Amino acid sequence: MLEKILGLLYYMYCITVERFESMSLYKTKFEACLKKVQKPARYIGNEFNSVHKEWENDMVSFAFCFPDVYEVGMSHLGMKILYHMMNDRDDTVCERVFAPWVDMEEELRKNDIPLLSLESYVPLKDFDIVGFTLQYEMSFSNVVNMLDLAKIPLRSKDRGDGDPFICAGGPCAYNGEPLADVIDFFILGEGEEVNNEIIDVYKKWKKSGKDRLAYLEEISKIEGIYVPGFYDVEYNQDLTIKSVKPNRECAPARIKKRIIKNLDQSYVLDKMIVPFMDIVHDRITLEIFRGCIRGCRFCQAGYLYRPVREHSTDKLLETAQKMIDSTGYEEMSLSSLSTSDFTCLHELIDRLLEITVDKRINLSLPSLRVDNFSMELMEKVQTVKKSGLTFAPEAGTQRLRDVINKNVLESDLLRTSRIAFEGGYNRIKLYFMIGLPTETEEDVKGIADLAQKVVDVFYTIPKEIRKGRQLTVTVSTSSFVPKPFTPFQWEPQDRIETLVQKQKLLKDTIKTKSISYNWHQSHVSFLEAVFAKGDRRLGDVLISAQRKGCKFDGWDEHFDYEKWLEAFSDSGIDPEFYAYRKIEHSEVLPWDHIDIGVKKEYLMKEHDRAYEGVTTPSCREKCMGCGAASFGGGVCFE
Amino acid sequence: MSKVRLKFSKLGMGKYISHLDLLRTFTRAIHRAGLPVKYSQGFNPHQLITFSLPLALGVTSETEFVDIDFEDGTDKLLIVKKLNECLPPDIKILEASEPVIKAKDIVSARYTVALDLKNSITEDMLDAFFAQEEIPAVKKTKRGEKEINLREYIGSYKLKGSTESSAEFEVILSAGGETNIKPDILVSKLCEFLGDGVCENAEIHRTEIFYTKGSNIATFC
Repeated sequence: MLEKILGLLYYMYCITVERFESMSLYKTKFEACLKKVQKPARYIGNEFNSVHKEWENDMVSFAFCFPDVYEVGMSHLGMKILYHMMNDRDDTVCERVFAPWVDMEEELRKNDIPLLSLESYVPLKDFDIVGFTLQYEMSFSNVVNMLDLAKIPLRSKDRGDGDPFICAGGPCAYNGEPLADVIDFFILGEGEEVNNEIIDVYKKWKKSGKDRLAYLEEISKIEGIYVPGFYDVEYNQDLTIKSVKPNRECAPARIKKRIIKNLDQSYVLDKMIVPFMDIVHDRITLEIFRGCIRGCRFCQAGYLYRPVREHSTDKLLETAQKMIDSTGYEEMSLSSLSTSDFTCLHELIDRLLEITVDKRINLSLPSLRVDNFSMELMEKVQTVKKSGLTFAPEAGTQRLRDVINKNVLESDLLRTSRIAFEGGYNRIKLYFMIGLPTETEEDVKGIADLAQKVVDVFYTIPKEIRKGRQLTVTVSTSSFVPKPFTPFQWEPQDRIETLVQKQKLLKDTIKTKSISYNWHQSHVSFLEAVFAKGDRRLGDVLISAQRKGCKFDGWDEHFDYEKWLEAFSDSGIDPEFYAYRKIEHSEVLPWDHIDIGVKKEYLMKEHDRAYEGVTTPSCREKCMGCGAASFGGGVCFE
Repeated sequence: MSKVRLKFSKLGMGKYISHLDLLRTFTRAIHRAGLPVKYSQGFNPHQLITFSLPLALGVTSETEFVDIDFEDGTDKLLIVKKLNECLPPDIKILEASEPVIKAKDIVSARYTVALDLKNSITEDMLDAFFAQEEIPAVKKTKRGEKEINLREYIGSYKLKGSTESSAEFEVILSAGGETNIKPDILVSKLCEFLGDGVCENAEIHRTEIFYTKGSNIATFC
């Protein structure tokens, strides 16, 4: 036994020494690559508030990977929270890893440099735990590509004792089945508590000298941890799923997500890395609440993050002040799924303005709804900066808005537009979806009609009051993607040809130059649907696509639909099975063993109500008993 | 006089912070430091920050200058101390002074170039490169590309040392205003001259900036 422990200690020592040696080894080679790539600031680290720790032998090392380029990943709040939270622990070092842009990937491969962490240039392979955040399905190929760049075996079953554990969290982890072969374990829900727990267990496991499996068995007992390898999936003849069953005792039949019951009492982020280069969201992000009271039937976030939990205004003020002092940012944005639903929004804004105006910090309020937008609110934000306004009616007719439970009336939008125009705005963006369930030609044309009515409002306002002679209304449509854990999870997606027809119809219906129309590529939306609702048979497709060079699929210039089709065909899988099939309520879904709190029966009921055109009140109006109350907190107990 | 000139160094990976990113970095560091900076008037007020001579991306320097307008009477030592606490590690304020010399009088700058080489080079080879009367090169300007004779932008040079696999030399290049040239153009032309694949890596470092006053040339500070 003693021998075994000594052996293990020696082994650990060797790994550590190797780690430091490889650090200096790669740093010089890596630096040489920087001269040959665009935007080298993506790869240099050392930003203000970044954490550069001395690596010590007994520390747990966690590589936080964002499967997209630096400026996208650095705009993500969740990463910032968990990065600082883990680094606040003396026994843990957390470093960032982003997908290198294609020019950098080429240099890395050419010079045989594995993927390294941003802070210490440590190969990803040498970390204890490698964690990916899955924010959108179209980043899955980058997850595989990053593992490949890191020279880590792509499949969980091929990894052994010297390899790190690969985990993944974020919204797409709730149905992470397409990555089930790749990821060792998924973290479901909010990470503030559970990430600490997996680190604690890791320390104990490392001391114990037990094998890899023992760690996975131990953490599978933690609520919110899903080890896909501990579940067997059986299929029916028609390719649908027959059953998903745990194959060992430690694994629960259903895995329940984790939430933070009281946000104020949990880890609250009060500092942020300030990047050198311009990133997508280059500002303070002040998270005001999680979840959404609304229940739009297409919106996955609206169900995944239930129940709604708010920060207190006092805590937010305290946090905002610390953020201002620690970052020096000139802009602060309130973050949530629906800003105007924050209970004390007016008080919050008044008090925030007291600390921001003198310091010339702009306050921005994204995600405003048209049904509770007031002149007062707008004027307050205006005292700092007048940026463009964006609203999301989502559908063109009242009938369809009722189907999707977007409780917004045409009169709300027109009233809000009037307020905005009278307040001096002359640019407005409207977001819609096409391909929603039950959609007809009338609904598509309705988008143009609605936009036209907004234009008409502008021109009825006397010239002396409105600003500028010209109004710009930008209409953007995305294509509806049915998502797991929503009432529309059983819905088929419109075929690409149909979506293109609808886009054309809308384009032809728009008559005035005041309206400009943007739309999304339908091929991307199709693959998004496939992977959103996919099962673990798609693992082969992902790996095959990566081999063919698929990466950065969220970027138009890199998305290669033909390669994807080849990958499907090589794996003998028909993608249409996942995207275009209407699913019966009785069918076993690939994600049925994941428990988000909201019950499947509730989603079925909502699905039925959609077809009846019946709307559902918000959580604050009336509790409809979705099941999220089982978490024992938030709006359910207000 | 409220304008303060800060001398700073930009070392290590800081060489990859572009000019625009550097401006943002200073703006935010001043915010964090809570220093009383002055803002421009007008529709979109911004801090009054002017760099004396922008540094090319990928080049380190021990002698950069930035002029910042602070409220009257702001203590210079305090500025240095507080800014250093609030700047990232690769940028360090070295001293603060009242700006006397005008940035528009800058004429040239001295660089040290350290080359990693596949095989050794001699002083003669360096001489041969600099002895050329015509070194055609392309200079990128705001208006597009411009063909130039690089030789006209080169002042004195000196080989400081060489080994089997490295060489280090100093060179003075035109800088500021109309006749500015980025040192990496010189390095790439030199490497071209030395032959395919001879240069494996080049580190460029700015050590001094010069200005002219009448017929005298002196160190900018």
